[in-house]
Amino acid sequence: MNTVLLVQSLIGGIIMGSVYALLGVGFSLTWGVMRVIHISHAAFGLIAAFVAYGCLQRWGIDPIASLVFMVPLLFCCACFVYRFLILPVTKAREVIVSSMILTFGIAIIVENIMLLIWGPDPRLITTWYTSRVFIVGPFYFQYAPVAGFVMAVAGVGVIHLFLKKTYTGKAVRAAWQQSDAAQLYGVNLTRISMITFGLAVGSAGAGGVGLALLYSFEPHAHNLWLIYLFLVVIVGGVGNVLGTAAAGVLIGIITGLSLAFLPYQWVNPLTFGLLMAVLAVRPHGLFRSEV
Amino acid sequence: MRRDFVKGVLVFLLLVGFSAAFCLQSAGAQEKKPIIIGGSLPLTGEFAETAKWIKLGMEYWGQEVNKKGGLLGRPVEFKIYDDESNANKAVTFAEKAITVDKVDLLFGGYPGTAARAVMPVAEKHKYVYVSMGGHMKSFEQGYTYCFGGPPLMGEWWYEGFFLWLNSLPPEQRPKRAALYTMNNPIGASLMSSLYTWLKKLGIEIVIDEKYNLPLPDATPLVVKAKQMNCDILFSNGFFDDGVMTIRAAKALDYNPKAIVQGIGSVIPAWIKELGPDGDYVFSGTSLYNKLKYPGNDQLNAYVKEKFNLPGYPVYFGFGYCWMQVLAQGVEGAGGLDQTKIRDWLKSHEVHSIAGPMKFDAKGLPAPINFCTQIQNGKVELIWPKDQATAEPIYPKPAWKK
Repeated sequence: MNTVLLVQSLIGGIIMGSVYALLGVGFSLTWGVMRVIHISHAAFGLIAAFVAYGCLQRWGIDPIASLVFMVPLLFCCACFVYRFLILPVTKAREVIVSSMILTFGIAIIVENIMLLIWGPDPRLITTWYTSRVFIVGPFYFQYAPVAGFVMAVAGVGVIHLFLKKTYTGKAVRAAWQQSDAAQLYGVNLTRISMITFGLAVGSAGAGGVGLALLYSFEPHAHNLWLIYLFLVVIVGGVGNVLGTAAAGVLIGIITGLSLAFLPYQWVNPLTFGLLMAVLAVRPHGLFRSEV
Repeated sequence: MRRDFVKGVLVFLLLVGFSAAFCLQSAGAQEKKPIIIGGSLPLTGEFAETAKWIKLGMEYWGQEVNKKGGLLGRPVEFKIYDDESNANKAVTFAEKAITVDKVDLLFGGYPGTAARAVMPVAEKHKYVYVSMGGHMKSFEQGYTYCFGGPPLMGEWWYEGFFLWLNSLPPEQRPKRAALYTMNNPIGASLMSSLYTWLKKLGIEIVIDEKYNLPLPDATPLVVKAKQMNCDILFSNGFFDDGVMTIRAAKALDYNPKAIVQGIGSVIPAWIKELGPDGDYVFSGTSLYNKLKYPGNDQLNAYVKEKFNLPGYPVYFGFGYCWMQVLAQGVEGAGGLDQTKIRDWLKSHEVHSIAGPMKFDAKGLPAPINFCTQIQNGKVELIWPKDQATAEPIYPKPAWKK
């Protein structure tokens, strides 16, 4: 067996899956807690990637460091979007369908704004560590993807701890599990939903920057990212943070193994075939669907 | 009686005078009636940025023609629809331009998917259609009114590169090739020439893999190529997978004698975003602003003055060149009869900024491809020698760490 090829493929796959998981966690939360399928989730992640690119080009700010102001900024934007656009839709009879239509419209608007500001050309984030590697025996680890992986682990960890350990996080979980009972205990559903939405979009920003460390991006890229979001969230179980993370890693392992052992054109059919198989056997995902 | 006769003569003369004046006016109007050139371009959506340059190139051609007194002595005007980067809409607008607007001429569409879809429409209505086409298959459908002037052919993409490689002494050529190709019609169109030329040059194909887009990770591709000691890498993909492959090659310190990147490396973003890492990559083109054929300098001077660009963008050139070819057909035929234009183009040599072209039965010129290499952040022409702007840098230097 070609160990070097296998390990390198697995490393690449796991890193890719983890970063998609970071982008997917927020998507999973809004879907699970609010019943809102947020189609423009990846578009917000892409905005973060473009802003990080701009900050790096103009001021030399490292993309990861730019998250310090980008995540709060996206959180505030998301609260505004929630209050004036999402909230009215959550009162609709068919929240899922209405939210999909609304957020699809938002995605198109956001995409066109990005086209207007940054144009249609592909962008590539190049930092001082982009092509640097550290070598362990016969294995090469590229700094930038490893940085994306560390961000993903940290991001998913923070969201998990927030939900498990903080009062607001517990209120989010309560709203997901028993919204009527939570309200009886004084949980303000509108406020909780707004925080959830803000948190989700903020995490999308981190995920977007993570993906930008791995891949090139242009204003249409969010459509592709969205496909992977559905994949990790459905496999991981809607609303399940750790499930989403595990699904990301699992998909990464499958991709890595496929790249090592199968003809490359089989990788995508195999990955999406997995999605169909999961849906057929466990319609609610591999992991329990709850926060 | 005599007075009546005089009156009658006067009335007759007046009528004749009016008729003559009317006829003259009509003839004048007919003479100055513009030639309408119609069709669609993706002015919005995914391909808008490129189409913008095609439109500017066509319009610049129109300006120049009108300045010189027009085509067949008539001014030219464009009627351009926006197909929103949708090939189906391009077909609808081509039908509309021909049947509703009754345009005098059709202009070439973009991208290849739209051009390929419009070709049968042009053929059905017997309209001459000079465009990039949609690779070789689109020209093998038996169409007689369609011309690639010049076409954008995957099948010819590496022609210039291989001709240059062929000029090297055999001992200097690479020995083992890795071929990684995106699994789509554009990728597939590159393969026949790769197989033919590699066999002819005695280069062994050690890896021949196709991948679906998006490519999740290029590291395994590069690990394999490095392990198999491939000294030439063909990365037959778009920008995204192309830059991933280059970055992985640098990270893993894989340094073959030559890296050939087909499609992704020809867009300006390659140089802008990859910087020095994008250097030394070979590719090909059927048109470039550094060509030494007449007209290129004039176009470069125009874009320098108008857009402050060092040379015209390649799609500006395509827009201009397709119109240049069509106009020669119209002038050669001496009118707007589409069949006569077609027959003239099929039987005469045309001269364009892409060089001289003589079309065969398929509507294709002899293979046109100029080998390019990126050197110090600039695209240089390497082959043929009479067009070369720089000497090739080969073998590829080590990666700059």
